Amino acid sequence: MNQIKINTNVNLTSFRVASFYCAVLFVVIALFGLFNKNLELGLDFTGGYLTEFTTEKSVSQKQMNELLTSYLPENFKLTSADEGTHWSVQQADNESSLKGKEWLADFAIDSQLIITPQDAIYIGSQVGEELINQGGLALLTAIIVILLYLSLRFEWRLAAGAVIALFHDVLIVLGLFAWFGISFDLTILASLLAIIGYSLNDSIIVGDKIREIMKSGNEEKIDKVINQAIKSTLVRTMITSGTTLATIIAIWGFAGESLAGFSIALFTGVLVGTFSSVAISATVPQLLGLTADYYNKKQEELCTLP
Amino acid sequence: MMNSPRKKFHSYFKWQTLLIIITLFFLLISALPNLYTDKVKIELLPNSSSVQQITITKLKNLFDKHNLSVNEIHTGNENTSIVLNNKTDKMAVSTLLNQTLKDDYRLESSLISDMPAWLSSLNAKPIKLGLDLSGGVLFVLDVDTEQALFDRLKDIALEVKTIAMDNRIRGVNVIQHKLPENITDIKQNLLVNYPLSATGKIDVLFSELKKTYPDLTQQKTDTTQVTLTFSSQKAVQFRQETMKQTLKTMRGRIEELGITEAVTLQQGKNNIRIELPGVHDPEEAKRIIGATATLDFYQLAENSKAAGILRMADENGRKLNLNSKVVFSGSNIKNARAGQDQMSMPLVNLTLDAVGGKKMSQFSKRNVGKSMVTVFSEFYRNAENKMIKKSKIINVATIQQHLGSQFSITNMSSQQAAQELSLLLRAGSLTAPVTIVKQRTIEATLGVDNINNGIKALSVGISITLIFMIFWYRSLGIIANVALALNLVSLLGLMSLLPGAVLTLPGIAGLVLTVGMAVDTNVLIFERIKEELKRGHKVLQAIERGYKSAFSTILDANITTMITGIILYSIGNGPVKGFALILCLGILTSMFTGVFVSKILTNLAIKKNKTQLLGVKA
Repeated sequence: MNQIKINTNVNLTSFRVASFYCAVLFVVIALFGLFNKNLELGLDFTGGYLTEFTTEKSVSQKQMNELLTSYLPENFKLTSADEGTHWSVQQADNESSLKGKEWLADFAIDSQLIITPQDAIYIGSQVGEELINQGGLALLTAIIVILLYLSLRFEWRLAAGAVIALFHDVLIVLGLFAWFGISFDLTILASLLAIIGYSLNDSIIVGDKIREIMKSGNEEKIDKVINQAIKSTLVRTMITSGTTLATIIAIWGFAGESLAGFSIALFTGVLVGTFSSVAISATVPQLLGLTADYYNKKQEELCTLP
Repeated sequence: MMNSPRKKFHSYFKWQTLLIIITLFFLLISALPNLYTDKVKIELLPNSSSVQQITITKLKNLFDKHNLSVNEIHTGNENTSIVLNNKTDKMAVSTLLNQTLKDDYRLESSLISDMPAWLSSLNAKPIKLGLDLSGGVLFVLDVDTEQALFDRLKDIALEVKTIAMDNRIRGVNVIQHKLPENITDIKQNLLVNYPLSATGKIDVLFSELKKTYPDLTQQKTDTTQVTLTFSSQKAVQFRQETMKQTLKTMRGRIEELGITEAVTLQQGKNNIRIELPGVHDPEEAKRIIGATATLDFYQLAENSKAAGILRMADENGRKLNLNSKVVFSGSNIKNARAGQDQMSMPLVNLTLDAVGGKKMSQFSKRNVGKSMVTVFSEFYRNAENKMIKKSKIINVATIQQHLGSQFSITNMSSQQAAQELSLLLRAGSLTAPVTIVKQRTIEATLGVDNINNGIKALSVGISITLIFMIFWYRSLGIIANVALALNLVSLLGLMSLLPGAVLTLPGIAGLVLTVGMAVDTNVLIFERIKEELKRGHKVLQAIERGYKSAFSTILDANITTMITGIILYSIGNGPVKGFALILCLGILTSMFTGVFVSKILTNLAIKKNKTQLLGVKA
């Protein structure tokens, strides 16, 4: 079982460094996408146009959804009330969306339903401006606190590695959404949270192993320490990523449209999270000049004190 | 030497195991209500006593004829109740009954749970489901920004009078026209009249006014009259800001109600749309959301001739003269908590923001020994749909000392009154009166198919994980799987216990993800054990060491994620808040089951030193 052989140390080190530059390239591509194409924000962020109408007979949500999908040019959000007789359709506020109540008459003929128009009105976003600012503040606070905690528990270079990996993962997922023009809504924002948790988890487990090997003092070269740490956590990384990815693929395949964006975000996040735990969080401390005898040196310093 | 670890093991087994088992049992019971579903119950109430009771067979035949399935029909002394199998049949059954029974009966429908009596007696409740899974209640609120502008101008009128008094300009008169009913978009203004004799000094007044209210346009409309207005641009800006403020307050209030996954947004120019998930009692939500309570603090007027005296009666009918300039208002309140004083009388502790604190400090310094009056105002619509402001004095207190930004309102009538007042104050006061213009029950935004597909996806995902664990770790894999299952149950139990936890479809996905990540805990431990075995330790010792050394890694990883979760929970809102909650709870339960429960299970399963574990010979 699990006899995954990695070639010589030299190969792994060069692989890591190459991956690191790859990761830098990915981030640049992601940033390019974010600045050039912008995130396509969903209705939760942008608000939109709301049309309300009632139908004489009770219609199932599925049926209404199908009817509207074939009629409306763009994505929409449908809510029903009063046992499937009262409907609200939310569309993005742009040129191609159908505004006003006029289209309802046409839609009524098209769908052979008896429809009474109610309201047609602009609606604001679910996320207020102050919440976006607060959210940014929250992330910043979280990152600073994580940096502090990890610096306290580990070493600042290992902490920096974990946080840079975190940035990498989140940026790449955001970049992907920008490049492919996938609608970014609050659900996706929530999935970013899971990615943050996952990314940190991965980085810390590698970092923890690095610290352990460094403390044991058996290795003298830092790149050997890191390679050994990666090798001994590889099985764990594979199993955890594998089972998580399998679950996400199942959600993607079975849950359909409503969770597609969510699954894409998580899938990419877990994938790049695993990659970055090797390419970034383990490699950055080395590039920042972490030495293998850091902990032993520290101990010596402590000992010389009276 | 061999004795000491054994002893440790023994005592560990005793009381800690007991504690863990009790916790697990408790969470299991809490998770139980989720197995039961809500059913629709329709009650037939006779309109008059002369109506002959309808028989069960007659009803049964009626439903059979129309292919509607009902769970049970029960007749009591006066009323008949029908429990439906499907919630979706409610509409059809109601129409059918209304047609058949005509005017003889009234229908009343309610939701009942089919939980056994012992469980409902424990007050156990299932997890609240989000808007996408079970729908909720929709409120549309109308925000009277016109009234807010009117009130704003009223404050300015008072300010004009005060400035005139301070500068000894006599005969200044301010006219504010009443708001016409049912006419919107009127231009509101203030007319300041002054006698010819004051022309010399009046410029002082207007320049001072300009300094305090730079947005206000001053226009000379007559030799002795100046009209004060907000330019239409400024008025629009004022309305927008009022809407923004109201929206923020509403979000605060909903959060105070303990609902995380609500939708709150502006609709059109003057409306706010609120969708609340899982609210079965709209009245309670309505009371808090619709309450437009504000709290204002006034000084008791020393003489009744000063400018702008407000006359108000307190609870005992005593007439009080208030200096109508507000010392500070509810919008300056940062925090409010109900509490008790030393005599265990209910009170509300207030914390003011910087502006309010400064005002209070200045005011109380100058007025030690004088009285301050707390006025509670509420807006409501009367029978003619006219907005009415009702104010009452809730407290008259003597300022004992120089107060800062923290003080309390004493003499509350009851603990509940103190609770309610503090909740309203905490949630923010509204500058504009709001009224609920629409209330409607909304259905789940995801159809039944979507939900079923989601659950199918999750089952497949979990199954893959479980099968893999057994395949990879064999006997220890089974232990990991049991721990995983217990983790899921504990998480469900914990979420049912917390009133603020709301489950949505992405939430379910997040839940499974935390389970997926909980595998990690066991994987880490097992890989450690394997390492220890390879180093030549005996099986029992390797297990002991594996759990112990993996624990610090697990702790570090989880604490870091927990920090993120807690920060995002406390600052974020909506789905982010909900997701952060699931994440944090998931970390807690996965540590609990992954480390402690699986340790006990491992100890139970492996009592002797085996020759082989995890494919490594010991």
